[in-house]
Amino acid sequence: MVIAIGTCERCESPIEQGDLRCAICGVCVSVDTGRREAIAIEVMRCDECGAVVEYDERHQAPHCAFCEATMHLERIEDPVEQTELYLPFSVDGREASLTVKRWLGSLGWFRPADLKSKAEVEGVRPLWWVGWAFDAEALVSWTADSNAGAGRSAWAPHAGQVQLHFDDLVVSASRGLSDKEAAHITPSYNLNSAEPSVEPPEGTTIEKFDVQRSQARDRIRSAIRGVATRIIANEHVPGSQTRKVKVEPLLRELVTRRYSFPAWVMAYRYEGKVYRAVVSGQDASIVLGNAPWSYLRIALAVIGGLIFIAMIGLAAALGT
Amino acid sequence: MNQAVATPLTLGISCENCGADLLVEPHLKTVECPYCASTSIVERPSDGSYVDPVFALGFVVGRERARELCVNWIKSRGIFTPKSFKTALPERGRGLYMPAYLYCAVAHSEYTCKIGENYTETYTTTDSKGRTVVRTRTRTEWRNLAGRSANYVRDILVTASAGISNKLLEQVEPFDLRALLRYTPALLSGWIAEEASIGREECRELARTESIEKIGERLSRFMPGDSHADLEHRTWLEDEVTDLMLLPIWVFAVKHADEEEPVQILVNGQTGEVAGFVPRSWVRILSVVLITLLVAALLFFTIAALAAF
Repeated sequence: MVIAIGTCERCESPIEQGDLRCAICGVCVSVDTGRREAIAIEVMRCDECGAVVEYDERHQAPHCAFCEATMHLERIEDPVEQTELYLPFSVDGREASLTVKRWLGSLGWFRPADLKSKAEVEGVRPLWWVGWAFDAEALVSWTADSNAGAGRSAWAPHAGQVQLHFDDLVVSASRGLSDKEAAHITPSYNLNSAEPSVEPPEGTTIEKFDVQRSQARDRIRSAIRGVATRIIANEHVPGSQTRKVKVEPLLRELVTRRYSFPAWVMAYRYEGKVYRAVVSGQDASIVLGNAPWSYLRIALAVIGGLIFIAMIGLAAALGT
Repeated sequence: MNQAVATPLTLGISCENCGADLLVEPHLKTVECPYCASTSIVERPSDGSYVDPVFALGFVVGRERARELCVNWIKSRGIFTPKSFKTALPERGRGLYMPAYLYCAVAHSEYTCKIGENYTETYTTTDSKGRTVVRTRTRTEWRNLAGRSANYVRDILVTASAGISNKLLEQVEPFDLRALLRYTPALLSGWIAEEASIGREECRELARTESIEKIGERLSRFMPGDSHADLEHRTWLEDEVTDLMLLPIWVFAVKHADEEEPVQILVNGQTGEVAGFVPRSWVRILSVVLITLLVAALLFFTIAALAAF
């Protein structure tokens, strides 16, 4: 599916089908109307019945009062986003459930001892979750307060400007996965393996984008802002403590691709409650999920700790 | 540079529908035939003085609704408005596609500012009973900050019609540019549409002024610290783009007194926002001031008289 129909003259971001202006910098998508040499006079007529038509505000288009035909006007299209590229599954269901079993045994002492043996797997379901990956160039202007160079106040102001380059950054659009789950398994994907059409494993839940293009652009822009703020705060603001980090990215060459990412979602039941774990569909070692705590063991540890402290105190008291 | 628009003579055409002879004013793009009520759309040669619009916004607010909004707006004006104005009825409104320039640019700024960083100070003082006490107070340390910022300026609209001032247009803004349409003559059918009567260069100057103002506001939000003062900036606008577009506007004229010029009232044809310069009644302002003074004087003397006893 080809969505991009050209490139913006100013910021070199792709112009997509149905855009009248560049979504990033606002430049008009030019169409060659040609030069008119002489005066042209026209009365608008209905394409259907030939009657004279007028623009009608109730239909927001030229509308024929005789035959009820409405003329089409070229307006900004805002279609619902659709996947362009699918990443294939390279981990199968058996591997995924083995991973989860192993993971259940590796969660540490504070989990119930019988978690691994008693957890009943309710099902391992393949899922294609949706998200965007984008590349962009950004000239980021920033200001911040930090402790570097501080005088009487704990904070001193700083400012700067830096060129940042974003490459294949993934933003989740998934409803099925939480942002935390998506962020955890994202690094395991090989975006180069994506193809326009891939045969999914049987029973795959294929998520659809449920946002329109304009909202998608807003989300990507705010993701860029978030990432830029983190990078600026960690790498560019001097000092060890920062606050009020503000960024203004001037974007160029923002290229967005719409992906479906493979994952295995496993639900399991332990003592009547349902928990779930998510395994990357391309790397069986990447897993994130929730699991019950053993309150008995936590209580034991706390009491043990208290006894230990009390004994040290007693020893110290006796020693003096 | 003021690129003056040439004013060719009024155009004589014949109605394509019924053949009647029609005259088209040089500043108009459309003419309605008085015999058959069909609208002829005139497209003049693109020779520099006439530019085709690139975009347009369609009307959403109809005639009845626009008039209603206008009447309600007139009624709800403040206390200093002459009574003759508040009871006046707007004359038949005209749905007008007014020309405007849509401006965008890349802005590079250099700024200097004083940033206030707060800190808490302990100090010793004596309280009302003469005891020495230690208290804390918040003080501000001022630091100089200089930096650069770069951003896109988008969606600046300025009037290209000599008949509607930019100030008045600003008062009925914003327009929802997500509903932008590619200009097509079909939109104008049944409505009045104006040619641009202010040159592109003059409009660009207006747009630059508006952009610089906008950037000042943006920089003010961009400053760190607990407070700031003396923000100054120098801004370069690069890669400017100005596109001619048509905005849907209802224009009403209100004649409220014989000796006064009619007042122009605009209704945003997309959002229904109303604006106009309301006349002030000096008689009303003066009487309010006098009454206030009188009440104050009365109060003063009453209190003075009571205090004397």
